[in-house]
Amino acid sequence: MSKAVLIIDDSTTMRKIVNRSLRQAGLEFDTVLEAGDGQEAIDLLANEKPDIILSDINMPNMDGLEFLKTKAADASIKDIPVVMVTTEGGSEDMVEQSMSLGASGCVKKPFTPDQVNEVLGPLL
Amino acid sequence: MDFAEKIVEVTKEIFETMVMVDVTPGSPLNEHVSRFECSLSAMVGFAGFKQGNLSIHAPDKVARGLTQDFLGMDVEEINEDVEDAIGELANMLAGSLKPFISENGGKVELSLPSVVHGEEYTLTVVNKADWVIVPFTVAHGDFLVGLELKKQA
Repeated sequence: MSKAVLIIDDSTTMRKIVNRSLRQAGLEFDTVLEAGDGQEAIDLLANEKPDIILSDINMPNMDGLEFLKTKAADASIKDIPVVMVTTEGGSEDMVEQSMSLGASGCVKKPFTPDQVNEVLGPLL
Repeated sequence: MDFAEKIVEVTKEIFETMVMVDVTPGSPLNEHVSRFECSLSAMVGFAGFKQGNLSIHAPDKVARGLTQDFLGMDVEEINEDVEDAIGELANMLAGSLKPFISENGGKVELSLPSVVHGEEYTLTVVNKADWVIVPFTVAHGDFLVGLELKKQA
């Protein structure tokens, strides 16, 4: 069965690096979807249902925390697991907020492919 | 641990893990630098309990080289890819320093990265701030990482 991932980050660099790290971690996806912020992701999720979502927290327009809230209110996408990929990993407050809003895990930047696999592996 | 030591620690970790290049730190500068030539500067602001900014300043050649290493692609000129890549490095540095900056204090928020580049430019210095600037060397040349924090009233 084909697998799809959605990467949400306002940085095109980070979208490329996350995608590369997924491959290096041995996590192969047939489809890699990208969005530049939470709103763009919500719009995209109206038509696409990826197996997992990786999202930055600090983004313009709709940030990662607001994205989690919006997603949780939509029955058609609320069960798709979301892993936060963030520079805010050192901030327990931000991680706790993400988890309380329904995130399934958190990967702190900088990260290695092994760390990505450790968090995403059990969710796939 | 002082700010310079912490900058060295997080810069080495980020560049070696994400960009996959070795960086060699130098001694912190004795004089503030705010004027740059043929360079690119990326900054992330700190707001809240502590105010200031984290910045990376790299000559064009070094910025292009680091982007090439980071993204694994050829970079001929300073373009959006270079601005985004160096901005993201500044973002990661600021995020890694945030817990250290807000230690024993209140909430600190990060701004989104902003980037400037050009043949000649001068950056505003945070008024009445403590600062530290650490030089680093990579295969492409040298770059600076600076941290400015406004003194508490």
